[in-house]
Amino acid sequence: MSPMKLCVPGDKLCSTDDCRPGTGVYMRHGYIYSSLAGYVLRKNEGEELPVISVVRETETQLLPDVGAIVTCKVTSINPRFAKVHILYVGSTPLKDRFRGTIRKEDVRATEKDKVETYKSFRPGDIVLAKVVSFHLLMEQLIFWLFTLDLPAQISLGDVQSNYLLTTAENELGVVVAHSEAGAQMVPVSWCEMQCPRTHTKEFRKVARVQPEYLHA
Amino acid sequence: MAGLELLSDQGYRLDGRKAPELRKVQARMGVFAQADGSAYIEQGNTKALAVVYGPHEMRGSRSRTLHDRAVINCQYSMATFSTAERKRRPHGDRKSTEMSLHLKQTFEAAVMTQLYPRSQIDIYVKVLQADGGNYSVCVNAATLAVIDAGIPMRDYVCACTVGFVDETPLADLCFAEESGGGSSLALALLPRGGQIALLQMDARLHQDHLETLMEAAMTACKGVSKVLDEVVRQHLQEVSVLTGE
Repeated sequence: MSPMKLCVPGDKLCSTDDCRPGTGVYMRHGYIYSSLAGYVLRKNEGEELPVISVVRETETQLLPDVGAIVTCKVTSINPRFAKVHILYVGSTPLKDRFRGTIRKEDVRATEKDKVETYKSFRPGDIVLAKVVSFHLLMEQLIFWLFTLDLPAQISLGDVQSNYLLTTAENELGVVVAHSEAGAQMVPVSWCEMQCPRTHTKEFRKVARVQPEYLHA
Repeated sequence: MAGLELLSDQGYRLDGRKAPELRKVQARMGVFAQADGSAYIEQGNTKALAVVYGPHEMRGSRSRTLHDRAVINCQYSMATFSTAERKRRPHGDRKSTEMSLHLKQTFEAAVMTQLYPRSQIDIYVKVLQADGGNYSVCVNAATLAVIDAGIPMRDYVCACTVGFVDETPLADLCFAEESGGGSSLALALLPRGGQIALLQMDARLHQDHLETLMEAAMTACKGVSKVLDEVVRQHLQEVSVLTGE
């Protein structure tokens, strides 16, 4: 295998006529430059131009992107929203926890106003959620200001710097939850989970996990 | 007895260098395992350590979050044993705050912050021994640390402090030359594009000399960038040998 080429930030790699930019590079005046110190990787993708990117051995911190599926842990709940810590983005673990919020209206797609967060999540649950666009947050803020419906608990600081998440899809919601007895519960339907020890059912917004991911 | 001559008749400076010569630069990357990126640099007798954390979620005042970019948070501090007399207040004094602000401005120009919206990158620099050119050495150390952390940058940021004595620009000033009373100009440069990230000058300088001084500073910065380049490439090769690529 031919040795891969080393490059440092600012190295001119090629022109935009030869390759398309991938990760770890930036474009300027029709040329592609490296922005990381690492190895140059050129990938051919069939008909289109090859993609050129710079890779390092250790991946840098990934940030939750809009539209990404994230795995998070519920830390506290509130009649209006649930606060979570984002642990994984896709299947990559994060080095640092990020904070997120799941609002009452975003818990499920139907009957949004009849949702009770106490019956959807509990602290300690592991939840699959999707990051919602930030602009929606601003629209929501403007809507709140116009209708004077600004919730008392949310301060402007919280609104702007939290990731807004949604579980309003069948595949999103609670994946792992422990019952009040302490045992891991088994999902019964989309809104109930049952404890195997005490056989009591508890309400949760359950995620419909694809069959291939379910262990026996 | 006459005062110390900053530039002798034969063209030698106090430490035996010629006017455009830089001090010996030795640097290492990845000195700390717990930080995301770290670097240690010695330029002559000036020693500085830089540590980078991030990008991570905004800590502290959440209202300073920027929705489209990362916030760069710099802190410059000097060790109490770094100067000839023990420093009473290593950080929080005006000089340190000003240096921190300059570092922040410099790195906001070079780091591609728009790739990490609503997050924060911390750069902490500590001067262990101060022998002139503190700001420049800190910038060089922080560049290496940011590269070590894998945060994308447009180009290296190289800095150098130059002075002007007897119509001759002196590159990479040491403490005696800085405090000798002449003007000192600190320049932070992105060497490949020739773009200036920060330009700062103390004391007075005649307008006619500014061009020559800036030329000398740019040449010196490009010299520093060559050395830093070597350090980065060597570190990459060492790391790849260890991971068996």
